[in-house]
Amino acid sequence: MSDRLDELERRIDELRAGVRRAMRARDGARARELRAELRTAERSWDALVSGEQPPPALEPPRLVTVREQVHQGLRLLGAAAQPRLIVAVSDAFFGGTIRSAQLTSLRRDEERSFRSAPHGRPYYLSAALTDRLSPARGLLTLSTWPLERRVVGPLSPRVDFLTCAIAVASQEGADGRADRLLIRMARNIPGATGGALGPPDPGRVIEAARAELRVHRERDTRDRAELARRAAAQLGDVARLFGAATLSTIAKETTMKGTINGVKAE
Amino acid sequence: MNTLDALRGTTPPRPHDARAIAALAANPGCARRALLDGAGIDKDAVARHLGFPAPFGQSPFAITRGNLFESLVKADGCAELLRMLRELLGLPVAEVAYHDVENVGAHLRHTHTRALIDRAAREGQDAGTLYDHPLLSLEIAGHTAYLEPDVVAFQLGGRFHIVEIKSFAVVDGQADPAAVAAAARQAAVYVLALRALLEELGHDPLKVSHEVVLVCPENFANRPVASLVDVRRQLAVLRRQLARMTTLDRLLAGLPDDVTFDLRPGEDGRPTRPVAELSDALRGATARYAPDCLSTCDMCFFCRDEARQEGSSDLLGRQVRDELGGVASVAEALGLADGERDPAEGQEEIARLLRNAERLRRECLT
Amino acid sequence: MSLLTSLARLRALEQGIAQPVATVRHCHLSERPMVFIPLKLSGEAAAPLAAMLGTDRARPRLLVVTQPRNRDLRFAWAAELAGELLPYIEGFLADTETVERRNADPYERALDAPQLIVPNPAGVAFTRLLGRSTRFRRADGPYPVPEGVPLLGRWLTYLGERAAYPGSCLMISATEELARHWASGQSALEDANLAALLAWITTGPSDDAEDPLVWPPAGPATDPGFDAEVLAPAIESGSDERVTEALRTQLEPTWRLMWQSVDLLSGLPEAPGAGQRWEQDRGSFSGMAAHLAEGAPPQPRRDGAVAAAAKLARMERAQAAYDVQRAYDDPLIMAEYRLTGEAFAGEVIETVPDNTEGEGRSRKLRPLVVIKTDDPVRLAPGTSLGTPERRGQGAELVSAGEGLVTLKITKGMGRGKTAAPGAVPEVGERVCYTSLTGDFQGSPALPEAEATPWTHGGPPPEHVPDDEDAQEEWS
Repeated sequence: MSDRLDELERRIDELRAGVRRAMRARDGARARELRAELRTAERSWDALVSGEQPPPALEPPRLVTVREQVHQGLRLLGAAAQPRLIVAVSDAFFGGTIRSAQLTSLRRDEERSFRSAPHGRPYYLSAALTDRLSPARGLLTLSTWPLERRVVGPLSPRVDFLTCAIAVASQEGADGRADRLLIRMARNIPGATGGALGPPDPGRVIEAARAELRVHRERDTRDRAELARRAAAQLGDVARLFGAATLSTIAKETTMKGTINGVKAE
Repeated sequence: MNTLDALRGTTPPRPHDARAIAALAANPGCARRALLDGAGIDKDAVARHLGFPAPFGQSPFAITRGNLFESLVKADGCAELLRMLRELLGLPVAEVAYHDVENVGAHLRHTHTRALIDRAAREGQDAGTLYDHPLLSLEIAGHTAYLEPDVVAFQLGGRFHIVEIKSFAVVDGQADPAAVAAAARQAAVYVLALRALLEELGHDPLKVSHEVVLVCPENFANRPVASLVDVRRQLAVLRRQLARMTTLDRLLAGLPDDVTFDLRPGEDGRPTRPVAELSDALRGATARYAPDCLSTCDMCFFCRDEARQEGSSDLLGRQVRDELGGVASVAEALGLADGERDPAEGQEEIARLLRNAERLRRECLT
Repeated sequence: MSLLTSLARLRALEQGIAQPVATVRHCHLSERPMVFIPLKLSGEAAAPLAAMLGTDRARPRLLVVTQPRNRDLRFAWAAELAGELLPYIEGFLADTETVERRNADPYERALDAPQLIVPNPAGVAFTRLLGRSTRFRRADGPYPVPEGVPLLGRWLTYLGERAAYPGSCLMISATEELARHWASGQSALEDANLAALLAWITTGPSDDAEDPLVWPPAGPATDPGFDAEVLAPAIESGSDERVTEALRTQLEPTWRLMWQSVDLLSGLPEAPGAGQRWEQDRGSFSGMAAHLAEGAPPQPRRDGAVAAAAKLARMERAQAAYDVQRAYDDPLIMAEYRLTGEAFAGEVIETVPDNTEGEGRSRKLRPLVVIKTDDPVRLAPGTSLGTPERRGQGAELVSAGEGLVTLKITKGMGRGKTAAPGAVPEVGERVCYTSLTGDFQGSPALPEAEATPWTHGGPPPEHVPDDEDAQEEWS
């Protein structure tokens, strides 16, 4: 067997060198070809060295779908959030099994499902809407929320962050993961940690977040109301949930002071 | 009559990015590089075709780490960045307005950036604080280069600041000086582009601060820390170099007629130009090789090979070159040392030193 | 770099082989050095990936973090490293000698000391960072790390800092020591590539040395092509064997180069000064061990103002002493001073061995020596001189010109009326004198740390490592 291993190792070395030479010569086709051969050789080596083909690792039984876990996370947060935060919340409070990468295609799948059978599900994982009513990059919302909660004005990312921090601080955590999440959020809110190391006092975090919220609330509420009004007036069912395509939503009205950027398409 | 476009020929121009523009300042005296860059020629492709591929590459681990760190700094409406700006520059709590320029779609980013910056410069206070993924532009020798500060410009006390996010660590208050210097050069390009934009829009370009906010991971954790870096010197070097780029005519005039650095890409995009012909053309434009080129220029191995063939003392580094005081070739320096060559005018002193050095080495080694 | 070295580089380029710039070895080489080649994960400050190390060239030990992003595996790796390095380091503490000191208690000094050899200066810097990222950890408390890791951190920190001390050899880098003894026909920048520098010294320049497929980089950074094509898929596969074997291919070639470097350096006879400096290294090493045994806290993150000033002054004195010792030990180094006129060598053509100065009881023997030299002497009359041939003696320049130098011997002649045999150079003898002498400024008067002036931050708080230090992420 070791002869065969030696031979495979020689072959693997040759192939590796070949791949890297091809890469350096920017010969993509050749590199791909060699890489495929390399993978085969490496698999054979793995198989041979470990004596037998290892059984494919059994996935733990999935009780809750990715979609449901995201829903759970968003419900807890109560505001538009990025996949990274949703995953952290799911992990901290629901023993979640999702990874950020699994969330990338989610919105598209939801839109497809909605288009084929509108309102066929009790909820959809939907987009947040920008000031041009297009989908905001990297943010998820729930279709069951009022439009005001699903739009983002200039202050909304901060307001949503503070809202999420209050939600996380209000939740009883099971273990250190919840503490770590709260520490990470709290250190970015003035006065939330009191400079102490270790898990911050949730009451203090909530108080500090509320204090900063009071600074932004009025303008943000006004901006959101205006955006929500436009979204309701201009968008159809699908676009209201998943955002309008960028070009079709050029705002004619640039009246909303402090929010709309007055950019016309050229 | 040579023109930059003729120099590039049928090869499509390669757009400059901030790193490339910053590197222009690395070896300002090199005519070959100035011409290649001025004409928008893909130096990497040229070097590969000549059989001297550049020794650069970035590890996927470094790329992943860089992306992860950047998204961490920008997560949740730039929550980490706001904390640092509040701590470092006393940004008022009310200043949190965030605009993701990329929301408008790629084709509108530049126009949108212009409009946002214009409004911010006009209206001051209420206009907004953070601009994520802006797209700036800069004229490089008649070509427009588009620049993407991975970074955010923000307004504070009426001034714009460039924020540069880098994933090299600051350990106990110290970072790799070379990495900091490279970041400063790159940020200076953004400062320059943003100033140019303001000027074009009729605003005071000095509304862009010469201090950039450099964000790096602190110690061995992922936690970001910000510091202010003064890039005035980098700006000065860059401006000078860009000014030289606009006077490429003089360099062009010095080239033989009808010379071109065209790769003549075939239908599959592969270069068809005979290698010998291309190297001859390139040799027509004088290079100023220095070992530093090995970390900054795609053409480095080609120029080093040329320096070897010419027996140039540039190979040994600037320090040796300086010590030899104007004796450019290895053979000439050794000829003076061995006393087989008479010093030219002005070489008497270095010749005497070299002869003495040779005598001492012989005495000690035999 | 001096003109002599520049000339050697030019000659190397012409001859196609490196040229000597030293005639003796200026670094001490241990009989049992620990070769240590660390690799780090690209893009990270101090995330270890692997290390190959050992004192036996036939049996390198390979330590690998098979999932480099896993914090626990990283500490497990540090624990394995401690398991290799600590017994090696502590093994030197058993045999000691008692050293008497003036105005201080005698102390115990180890008879020999550890020596770490890394490939290049970046390897030294990475070792220091490894020390920094482990020395504040604790084996108990809320975020415990394996036993031995914090201690390893303190030793690596010590060795890393000591490496910056001029002339110290507790931790040396192969490329730096090789370049101190041979001039290649390439730039100093390219000399940092171990394979390239060794090729210049042994066989002549080779393009293979820059091909990462033939000679993988000597670390701590890995080849980006290797990362993309080999390491990333291996890590992805989850197979520990594959990651380990992949990293072995990157380390084994450097392992051979490291021992080749050791062989090359040991081919040169050791300079007397190197032995003296090693004695200081042994003293410093014993001091550090005593410090640790007394339960002192880990080295602080940053030095206080007084400690920093004292360290700087110590380093400057060490640098000056190192320069002088090398010149006295090595005619080829002394030649640099002869070239600039700060030293001269030549043949004694006349002596007045019984020349005296003063009258009566203050009458002193001051022999005169006239030397014929080809060197361009640029020394003023009255300049104090020393000589490698008679290190206890001091002389003074009387006059110089027309290739002749007259000096008088002013120190080390004893009290006798006539010179002891051999004390005054004979006519016909070749001698060398230099204004470079071992008389240095004493240590500057710095206040005690407790009396640091407020302009320099006031007395530093005593460093008590806190939980934050111990819990710092290592990600």
